[in-house]
This record gives sequence, C-alpha cells and structure tokens, in this order.
Amino acid sequence: MASNKPAPGSLKLSPILDLNEASVLHGKLMSMRGSDVVIDASDVERAGVQCAQVLVAAARAWAADGKSFLVESASDAFDKTARLIGIDAKQLVAKEI
Amino acid sequence: MKKKVLTVDDSRTIRNMLLVTLNNAGFETIQAEDGVEGLEVLEGANPDVIVTDINMPRLDGFGFIEGVRRNEKYRAVPILVLTTESDQEKKNRARQAGATGWIVKPFDPAKLIDAIERVTA
Amino acid sequence: MDMNEIKEIFFQECEEQLAELESGLLKLNDGDRDPETVNAVFRAVHSIKGGAGAFGLDDLVSFAHVFETTLDCVRSNRLEPTPDVLKVMLKSADVLADLVTASRDGGSVDAARSRGLVKELEALANGELPAPSVHTEAAAAKPAEAAPQPTDESGFQPIPFSFDGFDEEDEVTLEGSAYEIVFKPRRELYSKGNEAALLLRDLSRLGEMSIHCDTDALPALDQMDPEEAYFAWKISLKTTRGEEDIRTVFEFAEWDCDLEVKLAEPARPDEEQPMVPVPFDLSILDETPTSEEESEEPSASGIVAATLAAAETATNVTRLASVAARVAERQEASAAAAAPAIAAQNTAAASSAGQTIRVDLDRVDRLINLVGELVINQAMLSQSVIENDATGTSSINMGLEELQQLTREIQDSVMAIRAQPVKPVFQRMSRIVREVADMVGKSIRLVTEGENTEVDKTVIDKLAEPLTHMIRNAVDHGIETPEKREAAGKSPEGTIKLTAKHRSGRILIELQDDGAGINRERVRQKAIDNDLIAADANLTDDEIDNLIFMPGFSTADKISDISGRGVGMDVVKRSIQALGGRISISSRPGHGSTFTMSLPLTLAVLDGMVVTVAGQTLVVPLTAIVETLQPEASAIHSFGANHRLISIRNSFCPLVDVGRILNFRAIQANPVEGVALLVESEGGGQRALMVDAIQGQRQVVIKSLEANYTHVPGIAAATILGDGRVALILDVDAVVAASRGQALKPELALKPEMPLAAAG
Repeated sequence: MASNKPAPGSLKLSPILDLNEASVLHGKLMSMRGSDVVIDASDVERAGVQCAQVLVAAARAWAADGKSFLVESASDAFDKTARLIGIDAKQLVAKEI
Repeated sequence: MKKKVLTVDDSRTIRNMLLVTLNNAGFETIQAEDGVEGLEVLEGANPDVIVTDINMPRLDGFGFIEGVRRNEKYRAVPILVLTTESDQEKKNRARQAGATGWIVKPFDPAKLIDAIERVTA
Repeated sequence: MDMNEIKEIFFQECEEQLAELESGLLKLNDGDRDPETVNAVFRAVHSIKGGAGAFGLDDLVSFAHVFETTLDCVRSNRLEPTPDVLKVMLKSADVLADLVTASRDGGSVDAARSRGLVKELEALANGELPAPSVHTEAAAAKPAEAAPQPTDESGFQPIPFSFDGFDEEDEVTLEGSAYEIVFKPRRELYSKGNEAALLLRDLSRLGEMSIHCDTDALPALDQMDPEEAYFAWKISLKTTRGEEDIRTVFEFAEWDCDLEVKLAEPARPDEEQPMVPVPFDLSILDETPTSEEESEEPSASGIVAATLAAAETATNVTRLASVAARVAERQEASAAAAAPAIAAQNTAAASSAGQTIRVDLDRVDRLINLVGELVINQAMLSQSVIENDATGTSSINMGLEELQQLTREIQDSVMAIRAQPVKPVFQRMSRIVREVADMVGKSIRLVTEGENTEVDKTVIDKLAEPLTHMIRNAVDHGIETPEKREAAGKSPEGTIKLTAKHRSGRILIELQDDGAGINRERVRQKAIDNDLIAADANLTDDEIDNLIFMPGFSTADKISDISGRGVGMDVVKRSIQALGGRISISSRPGHGSTFTMSLPLTLAVLDGMVVTVAGQTLVVPLTAIVETLQPEASAIHSFGANHRLISIRNSFCPLVDVGRILNFRAIQANPVEGVALLVESEGGGQRALMVDAIQGQRQVVIKSLEANYTHVPGIAAATILGDGRVALILDVDAVVAASRGQALKPELALKPEMPLAAAG
C-alpha cells in the first residue's frame, strides 16, 4: 500500500447506470487511473450489470495499481442491485462470506 | 416517480385498453399509432419501457424496434412486443430485431403490468 | 372509460377495418399486387381478431383466425390471389362483417355459410385451388368444427403464455425444494434491453435465494468491452415453485443466455462456491447510512401482488366512476340539465389520448335544434329592432349584425360536427353489387370515387336505402348478361361507377353503369299502356328517360327477386325528394345510364327566396332558381285555355302559376303583375314559376311538415320566419312535375305523382 497517495479523486455516478452509461463510465474511469478514487453512488436510481462489470474491473485495476478505490454513500438502488447480483457494494468484489 | 410507457399500436381498441390498463396501474402513458409515429414521439417521450404491436401500417413493429435499437439515446429501452401471434417465427423475428420480451394478446391487465414490471427496475 | 366503452370503440373500429378489408380485396381483385395492399388486408382481419379476443368473442376470433391464416398465405406468396380465390375472400369478408354485427347486436349468422367458407378458406391455405364455379355453399352441408386449428407453422394459434405464477398454486408444490441455477448472459441479452439484475430480482421473488457471482471472465479494465457480458451466476433457490416458474423468469432471455436449472442434491446444498444469501443480513452493510430503510423491502412476491391489487382497485374505482357517469346520463335524459353528464363525459374524454371524442348523436341533434331556434330568434329580434328603430345606425343595430354573423358561424360549425364522409354507405354498396351479381350470374365491378366527400349524417343515413335500390336495379336491369355484353362487343364484366362530389353547396351523387341504357321505345310504350302519357305525346329523349320515375312504372319483362316489385324508381325518387334532393337520369343506348342525385348538405337549413303567392308567404329553395325576371306582356304567349309560354332570350319556356297549381286561387293570375322565377328541375328542363312578389332572400331553418302536420303535395317543408309567421317551403320538382302532367295529358291531372287537386 502506497503511503504518499495524492488527494483522492472523486467520481459521482450517474442516476441511470444502463447499457449506454457503461461505455461512458468506462471512459471516465480510464482517465482516472493512477490516483485514489472515491465513488459517490448516492444518486444512482437504476444500476445494471454492465456498469457493475466496469466498476468491478476498475476496482481490480486500482488494486493492481496499489491505489484505493472505494464506494461511498451508495444509494438504496445501488445497494439492492449489488446485493442481487452478488457483488459487495463497497469493495466491488464478488461477495464471499 | 411514475414510470413512462410508450405504446405503439394501430388499433384504437387496443390503444384504449392499454391506456386504461396502464393509467390504472399508475403509469404515465404516451401513445403512437404506428412505427413511424412511434419513432417520432420517442425523442420527446423518453420512455422507461415501450410496448409495441407488430402488424402496423407505414412501419411495422420489427422496423420500429430496429429503429429504437439504432437510436443512440434510447437503444437500451426495454421493448415488449404485443401480438396475437405466439408462433416461434414471429417471436424470433421480433427478438432478432431487438425486442426485450412479448405479451400475447388477448392480454389481461395483470399480464401486461407483469411483463412491464419484469423488464423495468 | 370502462370496458363497455372500449367495446363500442372496438365495434366502430371493426367497421373501419371491414371497410379497409373490402376495399383492399377489391383492389387485389383489380390486379393490384402491391404488398402493402395485401398487408393492409391482413392487418384488418388481424386487428379484428385481436380486439375480439380481448372481449372473448370466440366465434369472431375463430373465423377471423382461419381467414387470417389464408390471407397470410397470400401475404407470403404461397397463394396466388386469383379471381376465384378473391371471390372466397370477399365472401369471407361479408361473413366476417355479419359476425361483427352479430357480436354487437346479438343475433346469429348463417352458420352453414360460415362453416362452408371456413372449409373453403382452409382448403386454400392447404394449397387446394377453389373450384372455378362459385356456388360452393352446398359444401357447407357437412358440419365442420367451428374453429379448426391449423397445425402447420403458418397458423398462429394463440397460446397465451402463463405468467400467473404469483397467484396460482402449482399442482406439484414441492415444499421447500432447492434448485441450482446457472445463469450466464450473453451480450445480446443486454443489447435487447434485458437486464440480468432484473432477472435475478424476479428470481429472488420466488423464494429464498443465495447467489454467487462468477467474475472470472471479467478482463482487465483496459481490455474490457463495457457492453460485453462477463458476469455469470450460480444461484441456489429454495422455493415452493416448480422448475417451470423458474424458467418463466428467464422466458424473455432464454435465447440470449446459458441457463441450467436443476434440483439441488439435498445432501450438499453448498459446494465449493460460497453463496451469498439474498436478501441477506443487513448487518453486513450496517456502515452504509442509507441501509436502515431496508426493512421497507417486502417479500418480493408481495410487491407484485400489491401492485396488481392496486391496479385492480384502480380499475374498480374507474368502473364505479363510469357507472356514476352512466346514472347521471340517464337522469339527464329525463331532466333537461345535461351539465353533470357532460362533465363526466368530458372527464372520460380527457383521459383518452385520442384527438377525437365520441358524442351521443342525440346531443348533437339537440344542439342543432337549439341553434336552429337561435337563428329564428335572432331573425325575429333583428326584425323587431328594424321595425322599432328606423335610423339603422344605432349600436343595437351594429350589435345585431354581429350577432347575425356569429349565429351563422355557430350554425356552420354545428353542422360541420354532423358532416361525415359517404364512404360507409358506398362501401355497403359493393357488397350489394357482389351479392346481386352473384345471384343473377353477372360479373360486375363497382368503382367508387369521392368516398371522402362529406355530408350531414342524417343525409347519409337516409341515402343508403334509395342507393341500395338503385344499385340493385343497375345490376339486375342496367347491366346486361355476360353473353349479351360479349355479343355487343363489350367486356363481359360490367362496371358500375359510384361517384360523390360537392357542387355549389350540394352533394352530387352519380351512379353510372355501362349497360344497355334505357330502351326508350319500350319505356314510351309502357307509359302509353299505363295511361301515363298520351299516345301522341311528343317527348324528348330526356323526358322519356325520366318517365321511369313515374309511380308504378316497370319495364322489367320479368319481375325478379332482386328488385322485388319491379323497378320502383318512383320510390327512389320520393326518398330523394324527401331529402330535399333531385334525381335525374340520362342514358345512351348501348352505352349505359347515369343517375344523378343532387342532395342538400344538410337537412337543417336552406337558403331560400321568400315570395308571396295569393297572399301566402312561400319559400323557394335558392338552389332551384336559375334567375328571376319581370315578364312583359309581349313575352307571354298563350296556348289553349290554360297553357302559357314565356319567351326568354329567343326560347320558350312553360309558365306555371304556383298559386293555381297549389290551388291557392281558382284562376290563373296575370303574369305581368307578378314575377317569374326561372327554375331548373331534374331532367325536366326549365319552367318559369309565377309568383306575385319577392320579399327577400334568407336562410331558413327547415321544420318538417310531416313530423308536425302531414305531407302536403307540392310542399317540401315549413319554416318560421323572422316575424314569427310560418311559411311553406315549395317543392319545386313536384310543382314542375305537376305542371308537366297537366301539359302532357290534362284529363289525367289526378294521375301524376303529385295529385295536387287533393292539396287543400
């Protein structure tokens, strides 16, 4: 774990995380590589699996980079979807119990 | 927030049935009479789900669905095909065109609402 | 709006679809091979079937279904729409129309006929060509099952899919069966608008679910395609539902995913994969600030049940509301106040997205009546103001002018509400042509033009009967048999053309056939035999042709079933006249006849010239008047005791004293003291009607004399003038006909169609 990380970047997710948003989100995340990121999921009204895939892939990429990647203030809808598809809404990894 | 449904059907009878059913179930309903009009109103309508007939003048359901799926902004909107034809060939064509699901007429209100609930969040 | 109202809409729509169907089939019959025509025909039947299904009209559904199946063969080029095939189709369209009528009004259809057609249609769909002879009704004798279902892939036997898993107990209720489900979506699943998360949501509603998300296929962020499907799931579900219900959840997605559903082996609920129970314990997420609302998520099936219940309740509320509206409507019928019902109606209308509203015709009629009263009232008001205020410049006068203008506009607008295209009537005619032609063994094509010409609904309604009569006549008597036609060097197929158009404020309907035309020799002889004309009467061709409108006139050698009591054109003429219309015929031997009907656009108002005759005020319809003139003594020429002619621009025209004809006075008035109205009657040439003076020109509201009093020969109707007096509206054609009768054979004055001597 890097100790002298820069101020974490922040990304607010769109309310609708559908098929169209997946590419947009992917693009945004690609441009944020290399620094810590906090994902604000408080506005999410609807989340789809494809955006979840992008987020999970991003979480892995950030982990590989040794940067932190955290979801904060997830909306109810975001939480529910994450639960339904078996993904930890905070860590963005397949939920292991 | 009310879910918005765009219905596309050339039959006035079916349009009215859809309208009554959807309004009673608390949906906001926008209606078009054929595929051409459906694509026209799509932009302003911004629907959460689309219910369309197959056999229609000017532009049939297959063409309409393809049109929606080609639309940058609305290509992800779920589309339910409303048809009396339950045979595999028609279903397949609708699916190839990009339909999300279907409802076999004669529909009863519960069946329609159910199908919409299935494809919307 | 409730189901009954939608059902009414359905029947209206059926009418339109049937019209569409018929005109499409006729186009195909004319050789039109535009795929859109076939599609439109198919759609029409399909649409009727769809609506009928919604209302459980099974007879209609099953016939439409067979019909549609055969039409689909045409649509997919498996069946060539030959004339013989189309004959079956057209008959099927007629039966479909009968079935619609029976569904709407009760009653039944000719079961043998519809069974016979079902057989014929099925034979066509199976690739059997029809027998060239058309009379296959006999084949119907064999009882056929009402709704034989095609079994090949072309048949769309509607199999309603079942998604009522939420309220229906499965026969096999496996208490707490555990299923293992493997679900791997493909890219297409998402691109077609399905969403794996929603499928999993629906799955979770079936019972208690644990889930493992397989993310192994997910590539690195920079190598992934954001729209690809990488995740897959392994789910274990404890449910009382069967496998069918589970598969139903994936019904829309099954082509676009890999799906395995199997009963879990009870010994090993978990395998090597850890499972996340869903809904899982919230304490895991207790740091999340928003999660305390979690308790609001009810059991999943509960949500659906609640939604459905809500929908049901809403339906009931609407139903109650419309019942209330109906009750209100009934109350309104007895009391005059319509406000609450109209309000209710408006509410119902507002909820519909259509751009039209349906209004009870009675309401429109009442409005039209009231506007009629308003026009009269306004005229009376104007008159009394003019009488009491001679200056003519007062503000009252100006206001009145505006009122008059407004009244006129209101009247026009109200009339426009009732205006409808003649199309439905025209379309009915094509069936009559078909059926009658079939009966008499002729081949006849009906061509229609100007079907969208609009005219008052009351005129349309009353037009159907005389038109039907004329069409039957044209088919039965006008058009020759195919053999005769061929012998005359014509196409064996006859053509009847029905045209509608607007001309100078009236609607003109023409019925043209390319038959043999009027046999003038025979008509003339018949008229002489029947004492209708003198044996030596000198008649023009037109006058001879128009003799067929005389009462009791029949030229048919044999009286056929179709035309019943013979030609009966006098009945037709009377109906047309009762509509304020005129009818005439012109004929070219060997080339056919043309009937021309000119009808008012509305039966409610009339532009008329107000005249005085023997102290009485009469109204002469303006449309009949060609010009008015002041006769000079030098222009009047007497013939015998009673007949006078007036010379107008070097031609002679019979002079008719209206006062004498109507028996207002015993002797003829002096023409020089009066005014002559040159009128043109249908087919009868011009006449100069003598009246004493012209009072003016105005629009009058027509009040039926028959409805309020009794029919008076020579008088079409009555009206109320501005000063409150009742004035009679002259029936110009009747007056002219009467005068012609006199001229032709004075001693038979009582014989012509208008026995004016009886007029009091």
